[in-house]
Amino acid sequence: MTKEDPSREPEGPIPEATELSLQQLVLESQDIRAFLAELAILASTRLSGPGNTIHSGVTVLRHKRPEAIAASDGAARALDELQNGFGQGPCLTALRQGTTLLVPDLAVETRWAPYIRTAAQHGVSSILAIPLDLAGDAEAVLNLYSGRSNGFAGEDIATVETFAIQAASSLRLILRISQLSEARNDLTAAMQSRTVIDMAVGAIMAQNRCGRETAFSILTRASSTRNVKLREVAATVITSISGEDRITAYFDD
Amino acid sequence: MNAEWTGGPDQLLEADEQRKDVARRFRACQIPMIKLWTYYYGLGGDADEVSLDAYLNEALHLPAAQVGLIATAIRELSAGGDE
Repeated sequence: MTKEDPSREPEGPIPEATELSLQQLVLESQDIRAFLAELAILASTRLSGPGNTIHSGVTVLRHKRPEAIAASDGAARALDELQNGFGQGPCLTALRQGTTLLVPDLAVETRWAPYIRTAAQHGVSSILAIPLDLAGDAEAVLNLYSGRSNGFAGEDIATVETFAIQAASSLRLILRISQLSEARNDLTAAMQSRTVIDMAVGAIMAQNRCGRETAFSILTRASSTRNVKLREVAATVITSISGEDRITAYFDD
Repeated sequence: MNAEWTGGPDQLLEADEQRKDVARRFRACQIPMIKLWTYYYGLGGDADEVSLDAYLNEALHLPAAQVGLIATAIRELSAGGDE
């Protein structure tokens, strides 16, 4: 995505172009983090104008705790982390309410006092926070910072809201894909692990002339008393009997 | 996948206690159910996902060997470093 010349893109964002580049992002991103980083850069590039640089970051709720996961630059990341450190701020409020939140001028803002004061010291004058609707799969918010008061015009907000909707649907797709591929990797690992363990259970049954349940409890006991993973205990059993140390199960995806 | 509880009421009480403890540890570690089931299956577990879910919601008893595997799965997953 970044390989494409950003200067080629016209000032006013064209929705179709955004949608296309977001699809491309989904395809090219190695993982969600990389996607969000590109997303932050894209948002910042699109909104920045002459004399008005927009810093952009994405915060994600994980286990109910906010985490600054991607940013267009160091400044945006620092601002996001600052806010998460305070545990309160416009972006976190936007995230919780699920609505866009604009702070046009930090100098006259009275909410979130400790954060606003610190952000102003960092040279921020206006903040725009737009939650990304991920349909319950996760929660994320796009945070935009400008060094100017009233740094976001009405049309900018509309543009970026449209952008956020498109970004969210791309993000849902990439979440779905990564969940599926994670599930597949987990299953592959489970097949490998189960093969080794089943084999060891059979060996223990033969050696001890016992049933499957007993063989399993011998294995689990050995695993928990030595604090070694069950699978590793099983591999040791097989190696001690046959000398084989690489048992793999093959199957087609 | 139900256990045959031929033991007396004492054993059933013990199983209840153990189940409560395993369920508590499952809630504490915040592992998604499907991830736990897959891992437990990889350890040689025989119960299906619905039975596992029911067990962890204290609605079903499972044979002792399965319970041992579920506890092992939770322990290994929450220790992190799963491949």
